[in-house]
Amino acid sequence: MAVPLFAPWNDPAQKPLIQFKNVTKRFGDFVAIDNQSLDIYTREFFALLGPSGCGKTTMMRMLAGFEQPSEGQILIGGQDMKGVPPNERPVNMMFQSYALFPHLSVYENIAFGLRRMGQPKDQIDARVEEMLRLTRLSKFARRKPHQISGGQRQRVALARSLARAPKLLLLDEPLGALDKKLREETQFELMDIQEKTGTTFVIVTHDQEEAMTVSSRIAVMDEGRIIQVATPSVIYEAPNSVYVADFIGDVTIIEGSVRSVGPVYDIDWAEGQPPLRAASPLALSVGQKCHIAIRPEKVEVHHSRPEDDNALQGRIIDVGYGGNLSTFNIRLANGKFLRAQSFNTERKTKQEFTWEDDVWVSWTDHCAVLLAE
Amino acid sequence: MRKWPLIAVPYLWLLLLFLVPFLIVIKISLSDAALSIPPYTPTLDLAAGWAGLRQFLSELDFENYAFLASDDLYWRAYLSSLQIATVSTVLTLMLGFPIAYGMACAPEEWRPTLMMLVILPFWTSLLIRVYAWMGILSTEGFLNNFLQWLGVIDAPLMILNTQNAVYIGIVYTYLPFMILPIYSALEKLDGSLIEAAEDLGCTRTKAFWLITVPLSRPGIIAGCFLVFIPALGEFVIPSLLGGSETLMIGKVLWEEFFNNRDWPVASAVAVVLLLILIIPIVLFQRNEQKQREAGK
Amino acid sequence: MTKTLMTTVAALALATAAMAEEVRVYNWSDYIDEALLAKFETETGIKLIYDVFDSNEVLETKLLAGGSGYDVVVPTGTFLQRQIAAGAFQKLDKSKLSNYGNVWDVIATRAAKYDAGNEYAINYMWGTTGLGVNVAKVKEILGPDAPIDSLSLVFDPKNAEKLAACGIHMLDAPDEVLPAALKYIGEDPDSADEAVIAKTEAALMAIRPHIQKFNSSEYINALANGDICVAFGWSGDILQARDRAAEAANGVEIAYNAPKEGALMWFDMMAIPVDAPNADAAHKFLNFILDAQNMAAASNYVYYANGNKASQEFLNEDVIGDPAIYPSEAALQNLYTKSPYDAKVQRTVTRLWTKVKSGT
Repeated sequence: MAVPLFAPWNDPAQKPLIQFKNVTKRFGDFVAIDNQSLDIYTREFFALLGPSGCGKTTMMRMLAGFEQPSEGQILIGGQDMKGVPPNERPVNMMFQSYALFPHLSVYENIAFGLRRMGQPKDQIDARVEEMLRLTRLSKFARRKPHQISGGQRQRVALARSLARAPKLLLLDEPLGALDKKLREETQFELMDIQEKTGTTFVIVTHDQEEAMTVSSRIAVMDEGRIIQVATPSVIYEAPNSVYVADFIGDVTIIEGSVRSVGPVYDIDWAEGQPPLRAASPLALSVGQKCHIAIRPEKVEVHHSRPEDDNALQGRIIDVGYGGNLSTFNIRLANGKFLRAQSFNTERKTKQEFTWEDDVWVSWTDHCAVLLAE
Repeated sequence: MRKWPLIAVPYLWLLLLFLVPFLIVIKISLSDAALSIPPYTPTLDLAAGWAGLRQFLSELDFENYAFLASDDLYWRAYLSSLQIATVSTVLTLMLGFPIAYGMACAPEEWRPTLMMLVILPFWTSLLIRVYAWMGILSTEGFLNNFLQWLGVIDAPLMILNTQNAVYIGIVYTYLPFMILPIYSALEKLDGSLIEAAEDLGCTRTKAFWLITVPLSRPGIIAGCFLVFIPALGEFVIPSLLGGSETLMIGKVLWEEFFNNRDWPVASAVAVVLLLILIIPIVLFQRNEQKQREAGK
Repeated sequence: MTKTLMTTVAALALATAAMAEEVRVYNWSDYIDEALLAKFETETGIKLIYDVFDSNEVLETKLLAGGSGYDVVVPTGTFLQRQIAAGAFQKLDKSKLSNYGNVWDVIATRAAKYDAGNEYAINYMWGTTGLGVNVAKVKEILGPDAPIDSLSLVFDPKNAEKLAACGIHMLDAPDEVLPAALKYIGEDPDSADEAVIAKTEAALMAIRPHIQKFNSSEYINALANGDICVAFGWSGDILQARDRAAEAANGVEIAYNAPKEGALMWFDMMAIPVDAPNADAAHKFLNFILDAQNMAAASNYVYYANGNKASQEFLNEDVIGDPAIYPSEAALQNLYTKSPYDAKVQRTVTRLWTKVKSGT
């Protein structure tokens, strides 16, 4: 049975749950968010991605109500949030530090938000039990936060923020404090919980792999601006800028200028070298400066000259053996470096390519991404 | 082995400056008053050897403690001191908490200055500060003159030489002892806890009562003990600011020692005061220990 | 280098030897003309270390603890007697006191009550316990006929009640107040009978609610500032309050009156502790004080009467001529003295006093 594709952002009939409308946020002279607009839809797992100081946390804190926009409007479910305090928003937040109440037990931490809603006791008990089961914490209900592990604390924080069944859950670097293995497990757990509860998640993270893994869409941010909003695969395969291409995943960026236009461009990139070919929907003119971004796994390594369009000669300077794949750092004839990856699909102890091998590299013109200056 | 001297230092300190004097006080409390130098008997005559020591011990008795129990003055003085100390502690807390809270909320760069302002009064002698309060509170003092000038009151208020002046004096004097531990607890408080509480449906006020207050409890408890314990035995403030009806055990002790020249009864009063103080001190220690364990 | 060191050491040794003779005096604060201290040092070459206290109790505690290090101390008569009994003093060597002939026999005889045969101490200053009155305010409240020279001013509850709002302070010293109360109710002020002393309780309890404070020093300022109307206190203190008010020119006029029913007389006595390190120098200091001109200088400075007959010709007119300081012959007859209580009675007195002060 084919699952229908979840893409409300492509459906003009869908109304976004969250709307940022020309939002600017200033702290004194510092512009944290610079006139940005953004729509997020119900049931999305939306990631705000960027380096520290890019404004992603400010975006989240404005949603939670801890900060007010200096200009512009934020709507949640169509309602303007101006002047609505955090405790009156249909939003809950999971804090980076978890912010568990140290004087309350795990149970009381989860029940905290429910008690504020004035629910009857049996209803609170039932809901807390449900949350404990969902996060596999039933055994630890009576413990205090300092008596459980970091991973368990993370789940308490999640359970607590989900207990009130918010329309929107904000997660501020939710996995930042966990070690790598636990982080990977938890990523899937988060996705699972998001799916089960049907809550809209907005996650703030600086970890691009995490954002790629969990989210339906990613907003890549830099210096208070949103650079690109798209699904993980679009972000990866069709970045709209050098910044995004460089920020997400491994990439080699080659500078050049347009020699001939077309659906497939010829790009001059080095003296005495044949032009590189790249297919692109962009409309560039002859002589215009541009960049070509090539993901290492798209580059093939050969012993002899291949038939492909983009074939260059070089020498292997470094080999990184990663078990499932090997990464090569190759110096091209003009001294520039290019990264290539190959999957070790067969079991062999001797590598096909090694240090100081003179090799040929190539990629198809659809694998290179052409980016304007 | 090398650790020994390090451990020995605090114990030696305690032995020399607390235990030995305390044993001397206990010894005097078991003696009888006499018109001599020193004004009690028996005194230990080491030259007499064993027999002297036995003689000495046989002359000690608990008469003075029986005397304390027989006269209701002492009980009333202890109770009245407890009451004054308790009320002062509550008042100090009510005043100290908002100040500490304000300090903890103040911008980081102001805090050292604010802290300095809290500690500053300690740079002058307590006696001078209490005398200053006499000048402020007296019938013709600054406060009355000011209030009369404002037209708030027609006739001067009687504040000096009343219980109220004692409370003012104690609250003023011990306020820093309340502020500092509460401030240190509040300063450590993670601001995101308050945000989390608001996020989970609390108003600011509610978050304050449900999160800020419980989490500053160790500071509150430490502050209360630091005020209560010295206030219980306070002597200078009630004698200078208090009126004739202010009955405090510190003053009774003074009278036993100086007016009655009865060192043994004065010592007995002191020993009982110490026993009363030991209860809150032990509770205080337990609180500290619990904090340390929780901090791990 | 070694030579310089040697000379320095030698010089130091010489200096110490020269300074070796010293005398340590422990007197009440504000109780001497300081010029006299310098004069003593120049005359005798003895280094004088002068230290002050402000309560008999503090002095007594130091004496009874032993090893005070003082050579001359100045307890009040009642305290002196008890301290003599405790063995705190040494007998005076009168052969070393060439000025002893100056003493005023009237005072010496009365002071002998505390020091039989005047063997241990000489009188320094003496005074009475009486009423300090803010004349204008009291007359405003009680009328022009206010009994400002009678114990009834404070011991009559009707008067005390009217004066309460204006403020009454009373000495926090049962040894001073109980004899006055006894006098007021017509008993022997010097009684040591516990049953008689107990009678004062009712009299004192009747006026207690109208007494703002029992204290032995604050009333000086309180009177001078106009904070209170009446203080039952020591003559010298009240005269000091009078002068302070006059100096401040704050419109407050204070008068001192020894009660006409009779006033308690007190004596501050100079004595030498039994363990005085410099007994010889102490005698020299006493002899210096016994000098007629020196004693007169002290009285002229502190406004207290002294026990030195010969000094009277050198006294200023505002001292010898002030009946509040030097009472007339007839008034002198009206003054009484009081023996100290024994330990058992003392406790009863203190207990009664505590009861009165705390009001229960």
